[in-house]
Amino acid sequence: MRCPFCGNDNIPGVELCESCGSELAGLDIPEADSGFAGRLMSDSLGDLELTPKAEVAPDATAAEAIERMRRERHGCVQVVDDGRLVGIFTERDVLARLVRTGLDPSTTPVSQVMTPGPTTLTSHDPPAFAIHRMVSQGFRHLPIVDGGELRGSISVRNLLRYIHSEILGASAG
Amino acid sequence: MARQIEEILKSATIRDLRLESGEAVSRSTSLGEVCEILDRRRFNAVAVCDDRRVVGIFTQRDLLFRVALERVDPDTPIGELMTPEPLTIELHQPLREAVRAMTERGFRNLPLVDSEGRWVGMVSSRNVLRYIAEHFPEAVLNLPPRLHQQLARPEGG
Repeated sequence: MRCPFCGNDNIPGVELCESCGSELAGLDIPEADSGFAGRLMSDSLGDLELTPKAEVAPDATAAEAIERMRRERHGCVQVVDDGRLVGIFTERDVLARLVRTGLDPSTTPVSQVMTPGPTTLTSHDPPAFAIHRMVSQGFRHLPIVDGGELRGSISVRNLLRYIHSEILGASAG
Repeated sequence: MARQIEEILKSATIRDLRLESGEAVSRSTSLGEVCEILDRRRFNAVAVCDDRRVVGIFTQRDLLFRVALERVDPDTPIGELMTPEPLTIELHQPLREAVRAMTERGFRNLPLVDSEGRWVGMVSSRNVLRYIAEHFPEAVLNLPPRLHQQLARPEGG
């Protein structure tokens, strides 16, 4: 290994640098950020398969939003007002804000039952950020916004697909 | 030396996950009661059991597709709305089999059963993601909000 003190290129496994005598034992252990753990920090969400955006206007009814979710088989739509993301409407909102409250979806505007001001990430953020947010804050979907423009969203399923194809997929064994 | 996340994931079994207890209901439990459980405990799904055998599952997706627009009577037995005979998983099975079912077949929740087929809990896609997060390097765990603190919290997120 290359000595970090003098730069001499030693044969692997030596305990002392052959040039300057510095202690090398232990320095060639792979760091925690090598391999896939490193890629979780160095890959970009923009490289992953994202869920395409599914926009509804704030004055759309909850029923229209639900029809959109059914049609596209997405657990989430994004509420966009004049080009700006103002909220998301998710399966969890369907449960907690609509079904549980008994509101009529055909007359309730989605803006009344959405999750306003959602946490967003950018396509330059690493997958680790998305995993961290989802695990620590319980989100299933995170909108991806670049410079104010909605790109799509990343879901728990998108992340598991990435992990599956990168680690557990065809090369598993 | 810490094992690489690749090795950990490839060799892990369902037993290695820190699982939530989950909740099981019977076919006669009302839709209203099930929604109350899903909301209060922040679950994505409940198992529907008959004499401890899993006969169905009811998820937030079922709510979206069968209940949300139809405004189904909350007194309706969940047995009429559930997805029958869901794919189940056992403790000794490899984690990657659960991940495959979740990614390729789109199941976000797999009822966990013992060798006699009795319900013992639920494996969710979030459990799997959390297991992966628990093997992250320290740099990620220290991102705000602190993951360690969040992970130490009781179940329910």
